[in-house]
Amino acid sequence: MTTKMSNVEFDKAKRPETIKLPYMLDFYPLEDGKNTMIGQFFVNLKQGRLTTTRCKKCDKLLWPPRIVCSNCLSNELEWVDLGTEGELYAFTEMKLGAPLGFVQDAPFCIGIVKIGGLLISTRIDNAKCDQLKIGDRLQLKIVELEDGRVFYRFKKT
Amino acid sequence: MRKVAIIGGGATRCGKREASWRDLAQEAGKAMFENVHNLSQKDVDSLIVGAAQPERFAFQAHVAPLVAEYLGIMPRKVLARTELMCASGQAAIRYAYACVAGGLSDVAVAFGVEKMFMPDMAEAQTNMTCVLDREWDGVNALSAPPFFAMTAQRHMYEYGTTKEQMALVSVKNHRYSALNPLAQFPKEVSVDDVLKSPMIAPPLQLLDCSGITDGAAGVILVPADDAKKYTDTPMYVVGSGQANIGNAVGNLASLTEWVPLKLAAQEAFGSAHITIDDVDLAELHDCFTISEIMEYEALGWCEKGKGGKFIEEGQPYIGGKVAVNPRGGLLGCGHPLGATAILQALDILQQFRGEVPKGRRVDGAEIALAHNLSGPANVHSIMVYSR
Repeated sequence: MTTKMSNVEFDKAKRPETIKLPYMLDFYPLEDGKNTMIGQFFVNLKQGRLTTTRCKKCDKLLWPPRIVCSNCLSNELEWVDLGTEGELYAFTEMKLGAPLGFVQDAPFCIGIVKIGGLLISTRIDNAKCDQLKIGDRLQLKIVELEDGRVFYRFKKT
Repeated sequence: MRKVAIIGGGATRCGKREASWRDLAQEAGKAMFENVHNLSQKDVDSLIVGAAQPERFAFQAHVAPLVAEYLGIMPRKVLARTELMCASGQAAIRYAYACVAGGLSDVAVAFGVEKMFMPDMAEAQTNMTCVLDREWDGVNALSAPPFFAMTAQRHMYEYGTTKEQMALVSVKNHRYSALNPLAQFPKEVSVDDVLKSPMIAPPLQLLDCSGITDGAAGVILVPADDAKKYTDTPMYVVGSGQANIGNAVGNLASLTEWVPLKLAAQEAFGSAHITIDDVDLAELHDCFTISEIMEYEALGWCEKGKGGKFIEEGQPYIGGKVAVNPRGGLLGCGHPLGATAILQALDILQQFRGEVPKGRRVDGAEIALAHNLSGPANVHSIMVYSR
């Protein structure tokens, strides 16, 4: 047992019970022109187009989209469509250990899709792990967050 | 370049510790200084602290001066923190090595600390999801387990590697960690235990994965010419190499071909003037069972795609072609990110000194390799040490 010192004040301090998820613990990129110079990617996504940047000078296809070509350092880049259909290259399922913000979705499938000459990671929304196999055809889909931001995912056709 | 020696070091026990980030640093610091004679904190002119995510795990930045304060070190040459995620500790060793070899530092401490257990483990899992490209891979919840699960799936698909072969890596490394008092999991496991452990991300199960770990460790580097002032049994840094290709998962050369590991090995063996056949002992980065299998292949102990067969034949055991992870590996000892490479270096030093128990002792080992990968295996870092 500890005895409290009589001349010392004991008070309560408050911490909020819940806080809004801070942006830097939010996995989805900030997509508007105030926060990024590749906002066009998300504008295109809102039209159902999955795009990336290609260098006009050296023709290098760059993923993720960017503002300077990492091959020749040119900043003359153009937006190109990757298409809306891809092929499943690898996949797994998040069973245990999902991060905050995704815990409510678990279990869910994660894969790597071959599309437009690239291999990109994605969530696969409509299938369980045992319903998928390497080589499956996948179709692009778009998810919209409550605040209006969008991101790409894929589903099994 | 001056030849560089490691003259001693110390570490905490690893695991789920009832201790804070700074408690761990103090415990390892005390053990490190008590391991070296004729040297006090005031002799240390440089301190490099490997720490992957103290901002996330302990809400603390600027950690190098914090460690300096707690260990009573007042650096006059170099003070810095290194972050290279799972290889943060090896980055600290490499910086300290460069400082001493280049003549800037005469006594450099390479230190590593990670506090990973948090009251809410979902927060810890969240921290680990900004390790890959957060905006393009992390956003798909792609952290290490699902990434290495897909690597394992492709290796099984392309080369016929089996889950039983992967389990054998866990069995081997736990056999050795059972004899390591610093290990997080000092207990043997069977193939059956691995195959019956909870599924994390198929095909990887719990015992295919290294742990979330608290731990800290430090080693002291000096010019080789000064080493005998402090110890009769120094360990020498004889080579190093590091290579990187891409970062976002889509820009890796391949999931099943670790090109940067081959490049790092070429550089490390070239600088050490050795070949793979000269290596007696290897501490490899077995963050997942599939990693170690792919490392046998990329380092050249067996053909591409034959890593599963290599472990099946018992080749990476002590007494086999090469002793791999006689410390117990990350699978058996845990993986306190910033401290991992320092723990590897320390155990190799103890191997050379004959201080490790029979059963995991590699008698007569002269040359050791220590390897770490980081991120989606796009960065590989290697140090070569000799007795």
